[in-house]
Amino acid sequence: MLKVDTTTLADIVNQCFAFASDGRFNLQQQKALLADGKRLRGLLLNLLSAQFDDGTQAVLDANNQLLVVNNDLANAAAALANVAKTLGDVADLVGNLDQLLNVAVSFI
Amino acid sequence: MHQPTRQSRTAAPNSNLCLLPLLLLTLLAAAGCVANRYEAPIGNFRDQTQATISVLGDFYSSRNSYELDLYLQGIAADNSLPVQTVDAHGKPTPLAGTVFSPASIKARLDALVLIGAYADRLNDLATTDAPANFQTSASLLGQNLSSLDVTFKQLQGKSDPTASKYIGPISDLIGTIGQMFLEHKRDELLAKAITDGAPAVDKILSQMRDDMDNIFSLEVISGANERLATLIAAYNSDREKLNFDKRTARLAQIKTATAEVAAAADSAPAGLITSMMGTHKTLLQFARDKGKARINSLAALNRALQQWTTQIQTLAAEVKALIH
Repeated sequence: MLKVDTTTLADIVNQCFAFASDGRFNLQQQKALLADGKRLRGLLLNLLSAQFDDGTQAVLDANNQLLVVNNDLANAAAALANVAKTLGDVADLVGNLDQLLNVAVSFI
Repeated sequence: MHQPTRQSRTAAPNSNLCLLPLLLLTLLAAAGCVANRYEAPIGNFRDQTQATISVLGDFYSSRNSYELDLYLQGIAADNSLPVQTVDAHGKPTPLAGTVFSPASIKARLDALVLIGAYADRLNDLATTDAPANFQTSASLLGQNLSSLDVTFKQLQGKSDPTASKYIGPISDLIGTIGQMFLEHKRDELLAKAITDGAPAVDKILSQMRDDMDNIFSLEVISGANERLATLIAAYNSDREKLNFDKRTARLAQIKTATAEVAAAADSAPAGLITSMMGTHKTLLQFARDKGKARINSLAALNRALQQWTTQIQTLAAEVKALIH
C-alpha cells in the first residue's frame, strides 16, 4: 500500500504557521499562510491514516510536490522574495491533497 | 588424636541443638532471599508500568477533545469564522465527527491495559507462594484478553491497517499470561513468563512508539504550532482594541502556547514508551542471567527502574500540556 509523505507535509504545515507570525510577511500574507496551514493540517490528519493502492500516480505526484514545496519554504529568504509564488504553490498543494482523499482506499 | 571426654561427647549434641534454630533461620532467610529476588524489582516495574499507561491512556483518550478545542479556539480567535459541523469544502469539522476513530483509540487503550495486566500478573507471581490462588482473577483476565483479541480482529476487518500489527503479539501475550496460571513453580514461572512474554510486549510497545512517531507526534506538534499561530494572529488583529489587562491575559495565553510547542517537540509520550521498553529489556536480561551475571543485571534493572521513575515525573508533566 502507498502512503502520502506525511512527515514532509507536517514540516510544510509547521512552516506555514511559523510564517504566519513572521513580521517580514505583511498581515494579509500572514493571514493567508495561517488559513492554508490550518487547511493543510486538516488534510494531514486525514492523510496520516489514508492508504492508497500501490502505484497510484496522484500520490506519487503529490509526494514529489510536497518535497518541492517544503524545499522552497525551508529557504525563508527565497520564500519572501517570491512571496506570491510561495502562496500560490501552497494553495495549489492544498487543492491537490484535497483531491487525493477521494482516491484513498482506507483510513484508520 | 584427641579423644572427647564424656562431658564433651555429651556437650556436642547440645551445642548442635543450640545451633539448630540459627541454622533453620539461616535456611529460611536464604530461601526467602531466593523466593523474593523478583519481588522488589517486579513490584517497582508494575508500579511504573501502571503510572506510564495511566499517562499514555490520558493522552490517547484526549486526542479528539484536543482537536475540538483547537477548532473552537480558531473560531473564537477570528470573528469572521462561523461554527460549522461541515466546512465550506465539505469536510466534517471536529465538532461533527471524530478526527480519530473511537475504535482505533480504544484498541490502543486496550493494548495498554494488556501491558498493565502483564505487569500485574508478574507482580502477583512475585509476591505470593501460591500461584494456584490466581485462578479467581485468571478467568476475568482471560475474558478481557480474549475480548481484546476479538476487538483487534474486528478492527482489522474495519479497515484499520494498524490494528493487524497488534494481533500477533497480543495473541502471543495472551498465551504467555494464560500459561502463567497453569504452572506452579514461581521462580521458573517468572523467568519463563518474562522471557516468553518479552517479544510480544516489545512488539506491542514498538508498535505504540511507531504510532507516536508517525501519527500522534505529527498531530501534537502541528496542533501546538497552530494554537500558537492562531493566538498570535488574534492578538495582532485585536491589540489596538484591548486594554492593558486584556493584552496581558492574551499574552499569557501565548506564553502557555509556547510552552506547549516545546512540550510537543520533546515527544514526551514516545519518550515514556521508550523508557518502558528499555526497562523491560533489563528485566528480561535479569530473568535470563544466572549466577554472578545476575547480580550485575539486577543492578542494571534497578538503575533502569530509577531512571524510568524520574522520567515519568518529568514526561507526565509534558504530556499533561498536550492534554485538553
